[in-house]
Amino acid sequence: MDLMIAGLAAAGIRLSISIAFAALGETVSQRAGVMNVGLEGIMLFSAFLAAAGAVYSGSPWGGVALAILGGLLLAAVHGWVSIYLCANQIVSGLALVFLGAGLSGVGYRLTIGGAPVTIPSFPAVNFGPLREIPFIGPVFFSHTLLVYIAIALAIVLYLALPRTGWGLELRAAGENPHAADAAGINVNRYRLMAVLFGGAMAGLGGAFLVLAQVNAFVEGMVAGRGFIAIACVVFGGWNPLGVLIACMGFGLADALQIRLQTWYPGVPYQFFVMMPYGVALVALVIFASRSFGPAALGLPFRSLRARRSAS
Amino acid sequence: MSANPTLIAGGGPQMRKPLWWAALTVVIVTALVPALFIVAAGKNPLTAYVALLAYTLGSTNGFYEVLTHSIPLMLVGLGVAIAFRAGAFNIGGDGQFLMGAMAAFACAPLFAGLPQPLGLVLYLAAGFAGGAVLGALVGWLLVRFRASEIISTIVLNFIVLQLLSWVIRGPLQEPSRLMPWSDYLPETLLLPNLIPGSRVHYGLVVAIVAVAVLAVLVRKTAFGFRLTAVGRNPFAARYAGLREKRVVVWAMLISAGMAGLAGSVQVAGIHERLQDNFSSGYGQAAIAIALMARLSPLWVPPMALLFAVFYVGAGVLQREANIPFPIVYIIEGVVILGFLCFDAIAGKKEAA
Repeated sequence: MDLMIAGLAAAGIRLSISIAFAALGETVSQRAGVMNVGLEGIMLFSAFLAAAGAVYSGSPWGGVALAILGGLLLAAVHGWVSIYLCANQIVSGLALVFLGAGLSGVGYRLTIGGAPVTIPSFPAVNFGPLREIPFIGPVFFSHTLLVYIAIALAIVLYLALPRTGWGLELRAAGENPHAADAAGINVNRYRLMAVLFGGAMAGLGGAFLVLAQVNAFVEGMVAGRGFIAIACVVFGGWNPLGVLIACMGFGLADALQIRLQTWYPGVPYQFFVMMPYGVALVALVIFASRSFGPAALGLPFRSLRARRSAS
Repeated sequence: MSANPTLIAGGGPQMRKPLWWAALTVVIVTALVPALFIVAAGKNPLTAYVALLAYTLGSTNGFYEVLTHSIPLMLVGLGVAIAFRAGAFNIGGDGQFLMGAMAAFACAPLFAGLPQPLGLVLYLAAGFAGGAVLGALVGWLLVRFRASEIISTIVLNFIVLQLLSWVIRGPLQEPSRLMPWSDYLPETLLLPNLIPGSRVHYGLVVAIVAVAVLAVLVRKTAFGFRLTAVGRNPFAARYAGLREKRVVVWAMLISAGMAGLAGSVQVAGIHERLQDNFSSGYGQAAIAIALMARLSPLWVPPMALLFAVFYVGAGVLQREANIPFPIVYIIEGVVILGFLCFDAIAGKKEAA
């Protein structure tokens, strides 16, 4: 029984990380006032790039590097269109979803899709004796390096956003850009940086999926995780630690769903596959009306100076 | 509630001129995107394009295929336009499409014995209802709990996909229980062929009627006015005494209903049975179509035809230059980005 719960918990953590990377990046981006609903597209594109990068360089790090670059590229498009052209952020994000899906599918079929390939993936970190501690060992000390990076990232953001100067300025850009502008903060530069960070993290999430979770690339493998990450930002109340916990909730639901399939072979497996999505929908209904995002989320900012010079 | 002040809901004489230019620019830009890949694959893009145009627009068979593909694209595109008009981003067209198909198919035995026109109308109504239930749910969750329709529609897409997967391996599986698809639809409920020797079916008539109905709804009725008012500024609409929440729920209901209708039409006209994932991304393409049509129902058919050319053309490019089908998704993304840029630049000029 203990072994089973330990296995479930460990799998829950592992399955939450790809969502967590994307959700933490999105948290930063939204705290600066820019919504990016295109995470799904970024994750799809960078999942492919991670696979291709790892295959061609022979190392998972090559995959990670390429995936982050791809995430930055798509995020830059979103940033430029939504921040500097002041276009609708949701529509621009949707464009990213399609673009990412297309680039991922076309790229895969034109490169590594021809023949089956083995993708070099990340090994578990060797913690030595820590690994042997009953229960705690398999749950917490059995993961790949990226898992610990994601958790560290959540803690760093949790500490830095309310306490550091740039954290304050970033939040000001998302809460009250006009006041921030008056205080001499370059709102749109902060926003662009936040969007790029969000893109890079979504890229890392896509890379994790390929290099540390599935160890293979399948078209459409992101399967809505990009959108669930956005939901997790809402559930976590735009607080990095809360967001991480929300993601782990989904990871657990996913891990449980896979086990339930084998425990209850009489129930059609499709109902178990639906479960994490159902959890997302129910959680959305429960949390959405209670949580409030940054005040200027989704609103493009044009400083008074820029507006005057335009007219 | 998602207000979308930057989304210009069509109509208005001042919008007509930019529309042509925007359409032309975007078409040219998107035509260039596959060219990059064709060059990268070491083929001549010119010959590939000539082959594409010769087939889709220059041959009867090819053009009939374009017409066939334009039917679902038109119906789902109309639906997306209605929801976007009210400021609700319905991106779950694919799920609603499948839900409509399943609902209609499940009800089919009830209507099979009826005289054909009546049975068919009821069958299609069941399809509309199947999608509409999902849409109404999303709309209600949106106005009652502020649950983002973007997330709920996408999540429902995945749930419905699993539901279909179960239905065709469970309750509606074909009698021998070997293959993952359903039995054939009763003969009386199949949409008859419209043009002999092609796959074009009476769904085209359904789509054209839908365009007319929704164009009248949007332009000539009080509901259409409310829809646009709520979409442009929900706060002002509420201030003016409109029950904006009700309008949003109805918009989502109609929008998802159109996708459901498209699903039932596609089953009755093309597939004749349920099978795995037959929505072919129409819900996605419909978003690009609705945005290109500036959310105006009358502009949806030409844009749907254009995208049908992309769909059929992607097949040609696959044969001629080994360009994989997902190139269509890239085109959809580029089309939307192109329009956003164009809007932004046109908007800046207007302000200047």
